[in-house]
Amino acid sequence: MGAEPIRPASAVTRHRWGWPAPVRRAVSLGLTATTLVFSATAGTSLGFATRADEPPPATPRWQAGFRGAAPVDPVAVAGPPTEVRIPRIDVRSTLVGLGLGAGGELTAPADFGTAGWYERGTLPGETGPAVIAGHVDSYRGPAVFYRLRELRPGDTVEVRRGGEWLPFRVVATARYPKDAFPTEAVYGATPRAELRLITCGGEFDRAKRSYRDNVVVYAVDDRAARLPESKGAGPRSW
Amino acid sequence: MRHRPALPRTSRRLAAAAGALLIGAGLVAGAAPASAEAGVGYVRLAHLSPDTPPVDVYVDDPAGKVKGLTFDAVPYGVVSDYLALPPGTYAVSMRKQGADPASPPVLTQQVTVTEGSAHTVAGTGRFADLGISVIDDDLTAPPPGRAKVRVVHASVKAPLLDIRAAGGPAIGTGVAFATTTAYQEVEAGDWTLDLAPPGGTGTAAACTLAGGTTYSLLVLDGPDGLTTDLKVDAKAGEVTPTGGVETGAGGTSGRSAPLLAGAGAVLLAGLAAGGALAARRGPRRTW
Repeated sequence: MGAEPIRPASAVTRHRWGWPAPVRRAVSLGLTATTLVFSATAGTSLGFATRADEPPPATPRWQAGFRGAAPVDPVAVAGPPTEVRIPRIDVRSTLVGLGLGAGGELTAPADFGTAGWYERGTLPGETGPAVIAGHVDSYRGPAVFYRLRELRPGDTVEVRRGGEWLPFRVVATARYPKDAFPTEAVYGATPRAELRLITCGGEFDRAKRSYRDNVVVYAVDDRAARLPESKGAGPRSW
Repeated sequence: MRHRPALPRTSRRLAAAAGALLIGAGLVAGAAPASAEAGVGYVRLAHLSPDTPPVDVYVDDPAGKVKGLTFDAVPYGVVSDYLALPPGTYAVSMRKQGADPASPPVLTQQVTVTEGSAHTVAGTGRFADLGISVIDDDLTAPPPGRAKVRVVHASVKAPLLDIRAAGGPAIGTGVAFATTTAYQEVEAGDWTLDLAPPGGTGTAAACTLAGGTTYSLLVLDGPDGLTTDLKVDAKAGEVTPTGGVETGAGGTSGRSAPLLAGAGAVLLAGLAAGGALAARRGPRRTW
């Protein structure tokens, strides 16, 4: 650990650079304040904090010329996801918002111990493949999704939104080289609410300071199928 | 819904065994399904008959492999979530609300599900000539930046409708009651759809159509004339990221069991020293 080079202060905006222990000890108090400042200024590129107060992406809604209450989308009302838990591998983490880097790639959470959700994807519990990513390790040891690789079909993943834990059932796990990432399978449209959990795996390329592979866990909505409210006006009894 | 569909135990065991094999083989790249759940197709149920009171809808597997399920008291205008079902032929039946499940159904229709296929099984037409229609849904994603939309016409208040996106393409022309148009691709974004009887004036519906997403627009009898309900058939995120994710710093790489065993004593000593340090430093908040 002591062999790690000391990074400049700007490193705080780069999640991949951990803080060497001596520096962390020396500046831990100051760093907290600095991080807050950097979070505010660099929040867009980091994809966390600054969007927390914004409403979730608008859900398509039709407003035809008819009387009556405006349709209320319970999912939109529930707001963004706040927490993930995976009992089988003892994971429980709050969720930060994740955005895109300069190359259009999904950025990872700044904190090795915290998972994040992709804010420009779909919302967990709403139709589509919601994405949650977390680190497999830091410079020093295991991180929040270190045991993600242990998940198997049938395991349960729960995401908290609006005070409710939404259950998802794992249906598949896979590992892919990052240069052959299956974008369509992970991010493509789905007919139900689904979930993707992503971390790193495979060999660590020390020259690139990057894992060769991504581990992806695929899960689907484990709630009973629902009957939405009708917007039509038909007879209600026989 | 009274029951959840369930795979037969043997299938579950097979799936588990297959999964274990995959995992044992080191998860060969590309082994994951194109859609998350392999080996299923999709069925959703709908009541689109404007003058028919609520019905109980049953889905049964005549082969007996999948447990039957029931939606109670489905009123006009409702389209259910998709059910994921193993490939096979299923019987969808409708009974009067509250009718004895053992009584003969009023209507029954078969629907054949293949892997990845999707179907909307709907009660359609007027009550006098009520039928069950199987509407095939195309869940293949439109290109990035484009959306796919079709119209399901289920209102008797306008027997024929022209549907046009203002400043864009026609979604359907002369669309008759109890029919469904083909999907039409449009640019993602905000649209106003004009729904009007041929040569007449009609209703405008404003909406936002997301890229990569497929929609069915239901045209329904509302309290005063037409109303619409936009259903998502399949949805993707707003922006698709490029490539993978950098989610590791390497702190656990290169660890192997023999190495760990050999380094055990060193680790223990280190932990003891670290523990003393940690006690002075307080809890570590992050890794």
